[in-house]
Amino acid sequence: MDKVLLHVEGITVHYGRLAAVRDVSITVNEGEIVCVVGPNGAGKSTTLLSISGVLNPSSGNIVFSGEKINGIRPEIVARKGISQVPEGRHVFTTLSVEENLRIGAQIRKDRAEIEKDIKRVQELFPILGERRRQSAGKLSGGEQQMLVIGRALLTKPKIMTIDEPSLGLAPNIVDRVYEVLTTLREERGMTLLIVEQSSERALKAADRLYVIRNGEIQIEGKASELQDGEKIRQAYFGFNDEKNTVAEASS
Amino acid sequence: MQDIVKNFNYKKILSDKRALVILGIVISIIGIIVAVTDPVRFQILITSVSEGSFYALAALGIGLLFGVLRLINFAYGDWVMLAGYALILPSTAVTSTLIIGSFHPVLIVLIIIGFTVLLSVLSESTVFRPMRNTNPAIMMIASFALGYVLQNLTIMIYGGRPKSAGIFEELTQTVDLAEGVSVPLLKIITIGVTAVLLILLTLFLHRTRIGIQMRAAAEDFRMARMLGVRANFVIAMAFVISGFLASFVSLMYVTQIGILTFRMGTPIIVFAFIATVIGGMGSLVGSVVGGMVVGVSSVVLKNILPGSIRGFSDAFVFGIVIAILLARPQGLVPAKSARERV
Ligand SMILES: Nc1ncnc2c1ncn2[C@@H]1O[C@H](COP(=O)(O)OP(=O)(O)O)[C@@H](O)[C@H]1O
Ligand SMILES: [Mg+2]
Repeated sequence: MDKVLLHVEGITVHYGRLAAVRDVSITVNEGEIVCVVGPNGAGKSTTLLSISGVLNPSSGNIVFSGEKINGIRPEIVARKGISQVPEGRHVFTTLSVEENLRIGAQIRKDRAEIEKDIKRVQELFPILGERRRQSAGKLSGGEQQMLVIGRALLTKPKIMTIDEPSLGLAPNIVDRVYEVLTTLREERGMTLLIVEQSSERALKAADRLYVIRNGEIQIEGKASELQDGEKIRQAYFGFNDEKNTVAEASS
Repeated sequence: MQDIVKNFNYKKILSDKRALVILGIVISIIGIIVAVTDPVRFQILITSVSEGSFYALAALGIGLLFGVLRLINFAYGDWVMLAGYALILPSTAVTSTLIIGSFHPVLIVLIIIGFTVLLSVLSESTVFRPMRNTNPAIMMIASFALGYVLQNLTIMIYGGRPKSAGIFEELTQTVDLAEGVSVPLLKIITIGVTAVLLILLTLFLHRTRIGIQMRAAAEDFRMARMLGVRANFVIAMAFVISGFLASFVSLMYVTQIGILTFRMGTPIIVFAFIATVIGGMGSLVGSVVGGMVVGVSSVVLKNILPGSIRGFSDAFVFGIVIAILLARPQGLVPAKSARERV
């Protein structure tokens, strides 16, 4: 039986009076890659920000390693082992590349391990070693994406949540990012929750997939079972309803 | 030649970063060359740099809190004021009696630092922490309110009349630096203390874990928290440093003026705030540059303006400020943050 690491249990999240996310449930098992795909404005970032403790769900629960974590401050959530790579990357542009990495490690006490881990990240992304003294704002978009993944890794998370890693990157860079993410799972058993707008790449990387639209989960399933794509398209664009009405009208 | 004059566009120069740096260096070099040829001018140079240092420190105390918290803290001037009153016996009597101010100089400095840091941290925990998730305008108004409370508290405890407080009086004596150049020792000490504090602050922000966390939080608070940086701790640290700087501002000011009034913080905060704005809100280098611009131009103008309009030198200082802001509304050294906190 798979061991559940993160369980989002029917959360509803409001911005003011607007419910951006309604009754969303997501399960991530240990060692899994789970993708959530949905169009712009579907509530993907809202869901990830709630998991990280930045937003507080008005109902529902978020359970991590068997412990309820909603309502806990973001810095505590990070210390419990959830590290987010947010949408738009958010490198600290005024800090050097290495300082960015070290910020990731500051919650840890195992000093010797930290130095080793920094080396490992610099091996994984050699550019981060070569440019370690440069200010992080000078890196290209792809390099910044590598930096924030490396930075998140250095918190030694049990799960990484990644918000639209392909946003604004050239296709070959996106390939590289996904290559790294799948390597992380294979070599270190990292658990990943990835959010994307397009289902193509997500389907290739994911074990399981959720489609979210208008703040609600439409379908979920094993990636292998959703390969044909038609089901996803329906859930993503909401053609379902349209087809039904067409069918009703013609009968 | 006429072309050059015609094409000279101060806004263009001020909006280009490289041109601005070169302009700054050129002005400094001209200033120094002009100054070393004449004892009186040299005196003006020392005095103006000392004034600039003073405002740089005051502006840093404000800029730091703005950087981390988006708080424009108008109570800062009243911390400076209260730190001054802490030197004397709490009483409404007309004459004042030095208590802490009569201790050994090292003890005076340490106690005033402790007092101001405590005041700053208490302001944070009682007033600003509960308001942290409101917006910057509300926090700014709260800082005004806190300032008034502190001022009225001072009137209650010490009375509303100005009181004398002569500390470090030997520092107001002049020393001869060279033939015909004599300046008050305090000016030189102000420059020296500021230089040391700037170096310490820079080392702190770049070499320590807490410092790096503070810089990260100042740029992108939410991201820093998602990496485990403790919001309460970083903000408390910013208040500690801001209070620490305020204690030096106060000691320098009281030594210079020798008189305490409950309103003495106001001119300091006005000039320091202007310095942070022209430097670039939230940028620490900007605060120092802005403080220097305000301090130096204020002293230089007081000395070079013809006698009839000398009394209005502040108007010229503000004129310079407006000119800078028209060309660079973001400030001379804008900060790299401005992302909203959640
Ligand atoms: N800070 C905010 N304030 C108000 N509404 C927001 C805010 N952020 C997002 N929303 C709204 O919430 C909904 C979901 O947004 P988001 O979670 O960012 O979607 P996604 O990440 O899937 O593109 C959208 O309708 C968006 O307009
Ligand atoms: Mg999003």
